[in-house]
Amino acid sequence: MSEGRIPSPPHLGQNATTPALMREVIIALLPALGMAVFFFGPRVLVLTGISVISCVLFETLYRLFTRQPMTIGDLSTCVTGLLLSMCLPPTAPYWAPVLGSAFGIIVVKQLYGGLGKNFINPALGGRMLLATFPILMTAWSQPLDRLPLLGVDAVSAPTPMAYLHEGVLPPHSLEQLFLGYQGGCLGEVSSFMLLLGGGYLILRRVISPRIPVSYLGTVALLALLFPKGDGSPLDWMLAQLLGGGLLLGAFFMAADPVTSPVTPRGQILFGICCGGLTMLLRYHSSYPEGVGWALLVMNCLVWLLDRAGNPRRFGVPPFAVLQNWLFRTRASMAEIKFVKPELHLLPSEGATGVIWRDLLHAYGRPLGSLLGVILVTGAVITGIHQYTDLDTARLEVQVRQELLAQVMPQAATSSETPYQANGALSITAGYSEDNLLVGYCVEVQSYGFGGVITMVVGVDLDGSVTGVSVTDHKESSGVGTLAMTQAFLSRYVGLSGTIRTSGSNAVDAVSGATATSRAITAGVNRALAIMANLDMDGEEFFNDEEGQP
Amino acid sequence: MRHTFFGGVYPAVRKESTRRKPLSRLTKPPAQVYIPLTMSADGPSLPAVRPGDRVTVGQVITRPKSGGGGAAAHSSVSGRVSAIEDCPHPWGAPSPAIIIDNDGQNTRWMGRPGSLEQEQITLELLLNRTLEAGIVGMGGGAYPTMDKLRQAAGRVDTLIVNAAECEPYVTADYRLLLERSDQILRGARAIARCLGAKRAILVTEGDKINAAELVERRLRRRSGGVELCTVRTRYPLGAEKQIVQTATRREVPPGGTPIQAACLVLNVATVFAIQEAIFKGQALTHRAVTVSGGAVSRPRNLWVPIGTPLSLLLEEAGGLREENPLILTGGPMMGTVLRDLQAPVVKNTNSLLCLSPWEQKKDTRETVCIRCGKCVETCPMHLAPTFIRRALRRGELDRLPKFHVEDCISCGCCSFICPANIPLVEWMVKARNVVEKGGDVS
Repeated sequence: MSEGRIPSPPHLGQNATTPALMREVIIALLPALGMAVFFFGPRVLVLTGISVISCVLFETLYRLFTRQPMTIGDLSTCVTGLLLSMCLPPTAPYWAPVLGSAFGIIVVKQLYGGLGKNFINPALGGRMLLATFPILMTAWSQPLDRLPLLGVDAVSAPTPMAYLHEGVLPPHSLEQLFLGYQGGCLGEVSSFMLLLGGGYLILRRVISPRIPVSYLGTVALLALLFPKGDGSPLDWMLAQLLGGGLLLGAFFMAADPVTSPVTPRGQILFGICCGGLTMLLRYHSSYPEGVGWALLVMNCLVWLLDRAGNPRRFGVPPFAVLQNWLFRTRASMAEIKFVKPELHLLPSEGATGVIWRDLLHAYGRPLGSLLGVILVTGAVITGIHQYTDLDTARLEVQVRQELLAQVMPQAATSSETPYQANGALSITAGYSEDNLLVGYCVEVQSYGFGGVITMVVGVDLDGSVTGVSVTDHKESSGVGTLAMTQAFLSRYVGLSGTIRTSGSNAVDAVSGATATSRAITAGVNRALAIMANLDMDGEEFFNDEEGQP
Repeated sequence: MRHTFFGGVYPAVRKESTRRKPLSRLTKPPAQVYIPLTMSADGPSLPAVRPGDRVTVGQVITRPKSGGGGAAAHSSVSGRVSAIEDCPHPWGAPSPAIIIDNDGQNTRWMGRPGSLEQEQITLELLLNRTLEAGIVGMGGGAYPTMDKLRQAAGRVDTLIVNAAECEPYVTADYRLLLERSDQILRGARAIARCLGAKRAILVTEGDKINAAELVERRLRRRSGGVELCTVRTRYPLGAEKQIVQTATRREVPPGGTPIQAACLVLNVATVFAIQEAIFKGQALTHRAVTVSGGAVSRPRNLWVPIGTPLSLLLEEAGGLREENPLILTGGPMMGTVLRDLQAPVVKNTNSLLCLSPWEQKKDTRETVCIRCGKCVETCPMHLAPTFIRRALRRGELDRLPKFHVEDCISCGCCSFICPANIPLVEWMVKARNVVEKGGDVS
């Protein structure tokens, strides 16, 4: 041989190298990305681009900084970037993927040694960090509501998962769920495209079907066994499967080779555990979605599953290992004797000071750098939390001001009152610009055609209505909502006493929405009655001015 | 009954170029043959001739050592022994060989035993003639067949004739089965009867091979007493333990041979050689060899005298048409790299392959393990090569026995499938050496 080294067998190979596998994953993700662009507009592409570019950038920078060989050629970083953007909401600000990829690439992936060594999926790590931000991950936009590139309003449309979390079937039809006409993260909306991509990966033998099938199967089984809502268990199961990020998680996150078990048996166990945990979190946690947290937990347990899934030795009958283990356990149980533990918490021999100095020297450097990393990451996260918390507060104030302007135009500010009354959810006092009490806003509920209608009614000090606003309802769109138009609601303004539906002192019902308008009238009446009978005797008046009691 | 085994890979078959070529004799007989003293797995045998002696075709020229070890070898041509000296050997380092000048007469040896009929054959005769004919496993193992038969006598209920050539390129056994199917079936019946085996199963590969139908029809018509089991092509079907699992669904216990699973596995070429020995009294002097590969001008199947230099085979196949090929004996999955083309054909040489660069593994740069688990799901012996490599690299030798490294059959599935191009087989061999040389701490 001219090259000197004799090649070792086998002399044939197959072309599926690591970059080729990663390329297949990228191809499999493209249909879902295309569907996201169709539903949410070109902003999706910008988000994805930022995510991929920042991932590549952070990896390059880290590798340059630590003088390690470049690894961006294996394309795993691009997959991470793509996956990270796929599990962001379409309204996410542009800094979100940058922060997510910084955490995912540097902390989750590179600090552990790069590709193959990280025990948590970097994209998942970045996404779950972002999930700790209060409003970022709960602002969903309507599909087909193409978002502008800049200046996105934080609108909140309910996702199927929000309905499922409440225990009701989402109003979306199965076709809508299947094709992706639903609110949600970029990549998770189109179940069809995700199934297409997942099927492609399985057919191309990039991933084995063990993890996705056992994961989805467990979720389907649990949903069938414990259905909620009024539809059939089958509808409930399909909604659970197609509604949230389950398919994205099962095909692209759980089946990520680096962070899933190596052994076939371990992979099946992994899928089953992920499924069980996901359903547990979906049913009994305060978050509507459980896929991310379930995967995060299971990623940390992969080493255990790898041990449990060690293949059966060829030629040894099944369960022989278990039998052997039981036998040995029984034998060693008989041998157990209690031995008093010898604890050496403090070094007792030798010159104490020297030993402590050596210990400090030994542990000082790693502990110091660890402390540094913790401090810096803590500071960054706290800073961003502060910033976004202010955002949340501002948003809340804005919503309250809008409501007040609609219900009580005379008032400039409002504040909570400690009053309690039967039937009132809350009573807020409105003050004019001169800080004089103008009236009260009462939040009441009444039963409409489709369910509970929640509204806020403003009542001035004379006992007449200053405005009405509906904050939440379940009436059918286009019919019941006719009775909630600004024009109809303004008819209540100035009325007092008991409002009837016909005759004098009446607001006529809107034709076609009789039940809804009656319900609103009933609610206004209730608010007026509450205000008329409000017992203010037990009230303590506080004077905010200084120096006086 | 489902015929399958766990794991395995699907390498490109590439048998098209030789599948339809009949076994042909050399147009130009070798001027000299080199018959190595080492042609059996259990060591060299002793020469029974001296330089200057005249020998004829089929004459005994080496004998097994008295304490066992080695197998008899016979002259494959007639002529004069010119020397006994070190010659290249296809298994590796040069070793002593008997060099015979061919006189081209092909005079038959008079001392060979007479032919027998089917009814006359007993176990005693079978064992004696197998020993005399110097038959060793011709599928690659080169383990003396007589020992195998003696151990199996009365203890097996199934004889498996291994016609599964799962290695890419190689078609020698396939052509032999196609052209000598009657003799092979007759031999299999006789061996099964002598050993007391109830069944004889011929395992061959089914799909992808158009001509398999022809074999099947022939076998169906004439078998009688031999079952045919056609299995989808998957590597390593031809491995002993895997073929036992496939044909009978029995698993050979750890560290055991197929005899512990009451099976005897014989290669189809070995069965043919035994048949020639017991019915016609002929020694093992010729065998079928496939000369193939992208760098060979006219790939073909040849019926050659043992001891013919491999360079002559290559010449017969039209020589090389590309420069710097990778030359192998045995299949591309488990075969060994040939260092010298002057090395002769030995009893287990089933192919001579010249792979041009485009046929070989393209990208051989080793990258990091991404824990994809493909090595675990393709390992036919239920091993976890990636864990074994990790334990070895970290020096956790006490964990190795838990992974049962000694079960490895070196089939190369793990190296083949690894997307990171990690030479896992090398690591497995290393780990096995560690365990067998006292790394067994626990």
